[in-house]
Amino acid sequence: MSIRVNIHQNLRHLTNDLGMVQVNGKTVGECLNDLIAQFPRLKKYIFDKSNKLLNYVEVYVNQQSSYPDELAKPVHPGDELDITLIIAGG
Amino acid sequence: MLTEHERQRYDRQIMMREIGEHGQERLKRARVFIAGAGGLGSPVSLYLATAGVGMIRVVDHDSVELSNLNRQVLHWEEDIGKTKAASATEKLKRLNRAVTIEPIEEIITEANVSRLVAGFDLIVDAMDNLPTRYLLNKAAVDTNIPFFHGAVHGFEGRAMTVIPGKTACLRCVYHGVIPEEKFPVIGVTPAVIGCIQATEAIKYLVGVGELLTDKLLTYDGLRIQFTEFRVKKNPDCDHCGPLMGRGKSEHTG
Repeated sequence: MSIRVNIHQNLRHLTNDLGMVQVNGKTVGECLNDLIAQFPRLKKYIFDKSNKLLNYVEVYVNQQSSYPDELAKPVHPGDELDITLIIAGG
Repeated sequence: MLTEHERQRYDRQIMMREIGEHGQERLKRARVFIAGAGGLGSPVSLYLATAGVGMIRVVDHDSVELSNLNRQVLHWEEDIGKTKAASATEKLKRLNRAVTIEPIEEIITEANVSRLVAGFDLIVDAMDNLPTRYLLNKAAVDTNIPFFHGAVHGFEGRAMTVIPGKTACLRCVYHGVIPEEKFPVIGVTPAVIGCIQATEAIKYLVGVGELLTDKLLTYDGLRIQFTEFRVKKNPDCDHCGPLMGRGKSEHTG
């Protein structure tokens, strides 16, 4: 059973303009790994060199913030993930 | 008390059950701090002045450039070279001469931010960079002043309202730093987000409705899609953590 990942506007050029991707996994981290397996160019926009989430990336599970320890948060079939990036323009 | 002129001017909103004369008087007494007179600051200040907010302090140290005019609707071709604070003041006074507009042409810094926001009923974050947003958020928390965040990028925007001591602050949600850079944007995006910030400010001042607290609202203009993300106060937040349990008891201030 898959998890739906909503892709932030600023990342869609890395997902063939897809706004939504189906992934598999039991945690947020596993889902993100599956997402990156499908779209490898996403990796450097989400993770740093030590495989920690970049500090301007936010992950929501069913519209609820998963901070802190985002990658360890459990997910269940039918859940929805949102990956967003902080924006700061005015 | 409202004058007869004010009753006529604001007739359509005084008609609203949620506002009435009592709400209009609250708006008239309000003192609003707007950080930034650019893409977001333009619609925020225009609609708060139009609504009859009594006093607005506009803080911006930049001058108007040609490349600002695609989105910063307070500033016109003839204003290129003027300071944004002066240009904004001139337009807002022409729009509503009863509103006191106070232009401040200073860079907001750690050293002056508390002095600049002191005595205001609320702070609107209409800045264009994250470091200054953090300074304002910290000052809002420290001085117990509600904070109305907005940000834009391209066709995307977000907004969030912070009631210090009660709800998640910007720092509970944003943990990182992104480099200051020239960001892409088209004017309709800050128009949407700025109007949301102004709506939140009006609701807070009048004391009606539900605020965007403990929620981060995101707007995807490409799909005209709004999403509300639920966020929580972070007990370890380096801005508001020590303040937990304190703060104003009513959102009407």
